[in-house]
Amino acid sequence: MEAMAMMPYQQEQTNHIERPIQHRFSPYDFNGGTVLAIAGEDFAVIASDTRLMTGFSILARDVPKTTQYTTNTVVGSCGFHGDVLTLTKVIQTRLKMFTYLHQKEMDTSSVAAMLSTVLYYRRFFPYYVYNIVAGIDTEGKGCVYSFDPVGSYERETYRAGGSASSMLQPLLDNQIGMKNQEGAKQVPLAKAKAVALVKDVFTSAAERDIHTGDAVCIHVITKQGTTKETYPLRRD
Amino acid sequence: MFLTRSEYDRGVNTFSPEGRLFQVEYAIEAIKLGSTAIGIQTNEGVVLAVEKRVTSPLIEPTSIEKIMEVDKHIGCAMSGLIADSRTLIDRARVEAQNHWFTYNENMSVESVTQAVSNLALAFGDDDPDPGAMSRPFGVALLLAGIDKDGPRLFHMDPSGTFIQYDAKAIGSGSEGAQQALQEQFHKSITLKDACKSALTILKQVMEEKLSATNVEMATVTTDRLFQMLSKDELEAIIKDL
Repeated sequence: MEAMAMMPYQQEQTNHIERPIQHRFSPYDFNGGTVLAIAGEDFAVIASDTRLMTGFSILARDVPKTTQYTTNTVVGSCGFHGDVLTLTKVIQTRLKMFTYLHQKEMDTSSVAAMLSTVLYYRRFFPYYVYNIVAGIDTEGKGCVYSFDPVGSYERETYRAGGSASSMLQPLLDNQIGMKNQEGAKQVPLAKAKAVALVKDVFTSAAERDIHTGDAVCIHVITKQGTTKETYPLRRD
Repeated sequence: MFLTRSEYDRGVNTFSPEGRLFQVEYAIEAIKLGSTAIGIQTNEGVVLAVEKRVTSPLIEPTSIEKIMEVDKHIGCAMSGLIADSRTLIDRARVEAQNHWFTYNENMSVESVTQAVSNLALAFGDDDPDPGAMSRPFGVALLLAGIDKDGPRLFHMDPSGTFIQYDAKAIGSGSEGAQQALQEQFHKSITLKDACKSALTILKQVMEEKLSATNVEMATVTTDRLFQMLSKDELEAIIKDL
């Protein structure tokens, strides 16, 4: 008993020894958010939720993660919001310089290629941003390009990114890719069906993922231009 | 112009009181000493043709190169101080490759020309950028290529000015050749006729007798892009003149 009673005193003694104080700076945060894009025959749909989070706190309820880059290109970016803002600014200045220099708007495929190089130039201190580019290609077809934070990218027909991506992607595989269904026929996706599907899957994601919610911002891109619509999600 | 020569024709970055840069004007004069080069734009593609001055029978004619590939969709013909063109062509190639690397698309002919003309006017700097020289370049270029707007032909002179043309001649025979082009060119000319025209005009303005060894010709078309004509192909056209 006596030995036990000694412990706190001894501990206090050792605590008086000066140790170097370590301050560790973490340059990144994760602010949640989910992005989703679907390419149709002559259109593309890209959507993101509007919640901005850190840990268990909601920072804002009205911040869409999508940005319109050109008349027929919209990019969804999520991850660390500070990097999202800087990357978006960098890309937008590059786009402006491009139009001044080449007297034309950049094609969606070129926006994707440029984004890849911009990301790769930060290979060893990356922008912590997951990007999805949606638009219309030079042939008038809908296109979606998905990226990792260091610029690896590929063209796809549909892709979910960000915090609820692991919930949405299998659902899209089943509903758009017709995966794991017996005798299911691949039919061209209608624009209205794509938009309805986006609303459904975001509602589901908001049920399970605390980082996703508040509202979903949906852009529909066609040759004529883009339209934007906001659809409410649960706010808790 | 040469009668009013003064102190002001020495420095490359000093205007004369009349508002002229003599060294740039002299550089443009230097082009008129060069061999003739012709470019014709058609709906199918662009043709470039140049004369090679084979001044001695001991010269190996194939070693004289006055048409070069900039990228697979752009070619360039030149007249004047050919050595000066190396720097310009090199810049054009680098810019075209950089554009492809970053944007995954072919650079437009106008943008390549713009990039080269930026270098052409970068002379006389105290602290020059790489590739820039102390004097103006003594070479004029005809840049021909295919891009989203179709076949395109641009002319750039040592002042860095560039203009798009349907048909353009540069070099010693340019005055006569330009006149002939004006007579022969029409908007619906075929590529085949343009090749023939180019050689016919070269034949008229050349001092030597035109043959497959002392001319060079290249075409840039939508399907075959930049293509130098072989000796056999040249001979076939020359036979029909």
